Amino acid sequence: MSTHHHAKDFLFTYVFSQDHKMISKQFLVTGFLMGFLGLAMSTMFRLQLGWPGESFEVIDMFLGSWAEGGVITPDKYLALVTMHGTIMVFFLLTAGLSGTFSNLLIPLQIGARDMASGFLNMLSYWFFFVSSVIMLISLFVEGGSASAGWTIYPPLSALPQAIPGSGAGMTLWLVSMAVFIVSSLLGSLNYIVTIFNLRTKGMTFTRLPLTIWAFLLTAIIGVLSFPVLLAAALLLIFDRSFGTSFYLSDIYIGGQVLEHSGGSPILFEHLFWFLGHPEVYIVLLPALGITSEIVSTMTRKPIFGYRAMIGSMMAIAFLSFVVWGHHMFLTGMNPFLGSVFTFTTLLIAVPSAVKVFNYLTTLWKGNIIFTPATLFSVGLVSTFISGGVTGLILGNSALDINVHDTYYVVGHFHIVMGLSAIFGMFAGVYHWFPKIFGRMMNNKLGILHFWTTIICAYGVFFPMHFLGFAGVPRRYYENSAFPLFDDMVDINTFISMFAIVAFFAQLIFFFNFVYSAFRGPRAPMNPWRSNSLEWTAPVEHFHGNWYGEIPHVHRWPYDYSKLNAEGEYVYGEDFIPQTTPLGEDEKDGGEH
Amino acid sequence: MTTIRLENISYKEEIRRKTSKPLIWIGIMSIVMFFGGLTSAVIVSQGSGEFLKITMPFAFTVSTVIIVLSSVAFHFGLISIKKGNYAIAKLSIATTLVLGLLFVVSQYLGWVSLNENGIYAAGKESTQESSFLYLITGLHVLHLIGGLISLIVVLVKIMKERYNAENVLGIQISITYWHFLGGLWIYLFFFLRYTIA
Repeated sequence: MSTHHHAKDFLFTYVFSQDHKMISKQFLVTGFLMGFLGLAMSTMFRLQLGWPGESFEVIDMFLGSWAEGGVITPDKYLALVTMHGTIMVFFLLTAGLSGTFSNLLIPLQIGARDMASGFLNMLSYWFFFVSSVIMLISLFVEGGSASAGWTIYPPLSALPQAIPGSGAGMTLWLVSMAVFIVSSLLGSLNYIVTIFNLRTKGMTFTRLPLTIWAFLLTAIIGVLSFPVLLAAALLLIFDRSFGTSFYLSDIYIGGQVLEHSGGSPILFEHLFWFLGHPEVYIVLLPALGITSEIVSTMTRKPIFGYRAMIGSMMAIAFLSFVVWGHHMFLTGMNPFLGSVFTFTTLLIAVPSAVKVFNYLTTLWKGNIIFTPATLFSVGLVSTFISGGVTGLILGNSALDINVHDTYYVVGHFHIVMGLSAIFGMFAGVYHWFPKIFGRMMNNKLGILHFWTTIICAYGVFFPMHFLGFAGVPRRYYENSAFPLFDDMVDINTFISMFAIVAFFAQLIFFFNFVYSAFRGPRAPMNPWRSNSLEWTAPVEHFHGNWYGEIPHVHRWPYDYSKLNAEGEYVYGEDFIPQTTPLGEDEKDGGEH
Repeated sequence: MTTIRLENISYKEEIRRKTSKPLIWIGIMSIVMFFGGLTSAVIVSQGSGEFLKITMPFAFTVSTVIIVLSSVAFHFGLISIKKGNYAIAKLSIATTLVLGLLFVVSQYLGWVSLNENGIYAAGKESTQESSFLYLITGLHVLHLIGGLISLIVVLVKIMKERYNAENVLGIQISITYWHFLGGLWIYLFFFLRYTIA
């Protein structure tokens, strides 16, 4: 074969691939690289928060002019916080998580050769890649990257002259996010249509793995909420660049009155949070779906309350659209409206509690196999509970007022959304690594990674609640000007120490990931003795997933440890793949 | 080693047949949410109490008539293809295309008329409602340009007799989007008529 053919094969196999498995890998690697940058940024600004004003050589080395003499400047501190939030929420936990596992698992678990449109799928990744590059470029423009927080509230984001990061950095942020939204929409369109139309014979909706239900609902939320963010961003672009006044009114800068009039920044908050809150579930639901699958497989028990799990995810998806006002309790909202948003917000506790109850009852008396994936799944259940209960305080308008915009909020959302989602992602990577790379990861390193991560994560975010109760505001560069917070300095140092260890703990994971991808032991076809369809596909990757006919499905995916009347395993094993036909007296678990 | 050839024409056709319509419908859902977000923004802005009414240009009423007629013409084209009448189909689709272009022209004339009456899209003399009026109608035209491109593709394929009574999927996709754009304009017209204008 000629060099030209080799180059062409390489290009279409690894770069412009339309194979969902390769696209999944592309999302995974890009998402993790972005996530690593986001993590490094947070570690650096934690150094500033833990030891305000002290010079660090490592900061000087990596941040250059952003930190003359090794001390981060106040404006660049805001830039780092903004970019950390943006990268983690959108690039790692939205595209990285959903893009990786929806792409990998949807066709494999429903029994399809590929996505509905391989071309759109490829475009989805490349739009994501381009948006990532634009976001990274924004770090290097004059004035630095966007600095108005990941929520980019106007007027800081709407007036290029407001702060250094409001200039070219903010413009690039908006361009990057517009491209990102296109990527997300293309992906979601594909996921929904593939699940509805390309399921193999016998794969009814009550036989779908809970991962697929989670990806489906995530995609539906994405299709309905991201366009509203796009609308919000467009209005912002017009205010910034074309002199409209959607979000701006009666603004004075340097004694000069600007030409804007009649607009309101609160309008932006409404539009932003209409996406922003569903976004929490775009990030969380895939992690919850992954956990359902792993908890059942690794306890060798059927998932408890399969239908209740689906119902609760649907309820969460619906409710996520009617709670956005709880982010805006202090915007002068009518107290009655505030109480309505309080009611809808607290309602989410019901389906969330159903899910937690079902995880715990599945784990209860299970024959638990403690792999890193199991540990991260149980870790997710833990963070979902501990982050969820603090949500009850923030979701209540009367209580929220006391801790609004303090570290309490930072602690809450990092635990319930950040940790839960990243734990779900880690669990998914450890569990499906044999499917992604055809090799096994190192278990011991994985377990070490888990314990250091969860201890450090709680060490970082748990004390933040106390800072919040004391009234320490979020996003401040330092609090030395407020004697009121002098007693809090040690807590900040304590948090930063855990943050530094947490950073190094992730290096264990990255080493394990890269080493195992090339040198790990070869994976068998079904290493976890799992029921779902992806484990019936050959270990080696090829476009089309199965040789010959796609397997048919005869039962739900959670027939673990099924016993007959004599107390023996029905088919001599503690698992029954979905491809095994139902016996004469057997009932399908998903139907009941 | 046997591999599955996904480039296989019949496989591709089957997937296309199964997924094209759902893809366009879900795409439409996201466009609905996009304009839903924008029109909700108008309602939220009205709540501030400083919203001034402006007069809707007559050209926008003409636009409404044009887009309804274009949908009728397109539908006639689809029926003609199903009956194998290529000549009438070509005429109908060409008429739809002309009416689509006329719609864009009428929108442009509407903006000119607004501008002449001192209602500006941006700048010192613009108001929030005038900006919304230009922006929302402009974004609808942008979406319509996508529809016009799909119409041109359909017309070229009809010229080449690529469609027949059994194979009208491409036209059905295009017509679904076109009817949606018509419906969307009617919604926007009445929404703007009773909120801004």
